[in-house]
Amino acid sequence: MYSIIKYSIGFFLYVSLACSQIKLDINTIPDEVDVYLDGVNLGTSPIRNERIIPGAHIFEIKKKGYAPLKYDLIVNPSKAVEIDFFLNPVHACKFKTKEKGLVFELNGEHYWDTDNIRLDLEAGDHTLRVFKASELVDEQNIKIDKPETFNYKEKKTISN
Amino acid sequence: MISFFNYFYKFSLGLVVILYFSCAQFRGPKYPEIIYNNKQPLISVKYEYGEIQIILPIQYDGDIPENILFKVFAKADTMNPIISFLQEAPSEFRTTLPQGSLDITEKTNLIKIIPQDENFDPVSVRFKGIGFGRIVLPPKVIRSGQLIISGKTFLKNDASILPKVKVEIKDSEDVIFTTSSNDSGFYQIAIPGEYRFSENLKIVVGENLIFKPFTQKLIFDNVRKLKINALLGPSRAMRGPLYITEKSNVHFKKGPDIGAEILFLLNKGEVVSVDRITPGSYHGFIEVEISGGENIMMEGWINRADLRELNLNSIRKVIK
Repeated sequence: MYSIIKYSIGFFLYVSLACSQIKLDINTIPDEVDVYLDGVNLGTSPIRNERIIPGAHIFEIKKKGYAPLKYDLIVNPSKAVEIDFFLNPVHACKFKTKEKGLVFELNGEHYWDTDNIRLDLEAGDHTLRVFKASELVDEQNIKIDKPETFNYKEKKTISN
Repeated sequence: MISFFNYFYKFSLGLVVILYFSCAQFRGPKYPEIIYNNKQPLISVKYEYGEIQIILPIQYDGDIPENILFKVFAKADTMNPIISFLQEAPSEFRTTLPQGSLDITEKTNLIKIIPQDENFDPVSVRFKGIGFGRIVLPPKVIRSGQLIISGKTFLKNDASILPKVKVEIKDSEDVIFTTSSNDSGFYQIAIPGEYRFSENLKIVVGENLIFKPFTQKLIFDNVRKLKINALLGPSRAMRGPLYITEKSNVHFKKGPDIGAEILFLLNKGEVVSVDRITPGSYHGFIEVEISGGENIMMEGWINRADLRELNLNSIRKVIK
């Protein structure tokens, strides 16, 4: 009797769970990226016909050469959900200057004082600040959209 | 020869190392971390919401209403329908609702079927919803509302209440329902609505009494309830001594003689008010109902053998 009740409850839970699941498709740009859902590897994108239950979930995507992505999503009760992730690339750039005695700061947390350095920069806008003898002498935004070399020439100019 | 190759190998290796470090100096050092700008990732989320199709087969038992108003309520909210529409009486009610609009855990969703005809009563169908997909509900039978016949049973003589009097509804001679009045003389009968169209529907009251039963044709013209008070036995106009016919087809004659003209054939239970007696016959009066429900008294002669004296204290038939 106990086992019948146990199996009945199990079957009911299984049916309830199966009925409440939502079809999940995941696309990424670029594709062939490992996708993790709540810490479990779903496989390589594109992901098709996976199942997900309504509620809070965490998606994580990591690929060499791209900024890692972590996304919290509360999945609504629905028939299907399709998610497209656009990964932001990281470009290998060079930064050079002929000026002496300068300290460079990028995004308020990365510093260097050499006149020639290689940087791995996420595509997009970055804030560059230049210090000389602890004084701010320049501040500007630089936009990264491809691998390139920057030559910092004068105090308020920057050119490719 | 071997020492030459060893020498060449070491020379080449040294050259590679020197060139590597020279070039590294030329390329500059590499910043140890990847520099992110914490840019918001570009993400697109598309939901596909399903639909719930509800199919409710409708069956009609007899009469069909012209139009029906359907109202669908969800999640125990019986005040605000999520959809309602009026349509000609269909064989199948179909509607489509958006996903998530129904309670999928309990039977708190409701379809109210309201025929636009006063002869029909509204009916409801409770059901448990689904997330999306199709629900085919069990067929619902729509039948016209019940016909109610109620009233009281009285003794015509003194208008006193007659309890426990048998009441029958007959379609032609088929008894379709039987009951008895209660201790207060009250009775109520509900019969299916399709009998509205029967042309031979009648109520017969008092089959368990010695009197001629009260009979009335039932006509439901735009009504579903009839109130019929049944007056049984002789009226106050019938003065004693009272006699009652003991069998059917009793001759009610113009004179006491054999061969006298027969005015009526009396049924069993007919009450006769006797005023003269001869050795073989009684002369008296009977009540005859004429059009409009009015009674008139008619006089005539009846053989003594066909009558017995009426005792109003013993009016129930004795079942042998």
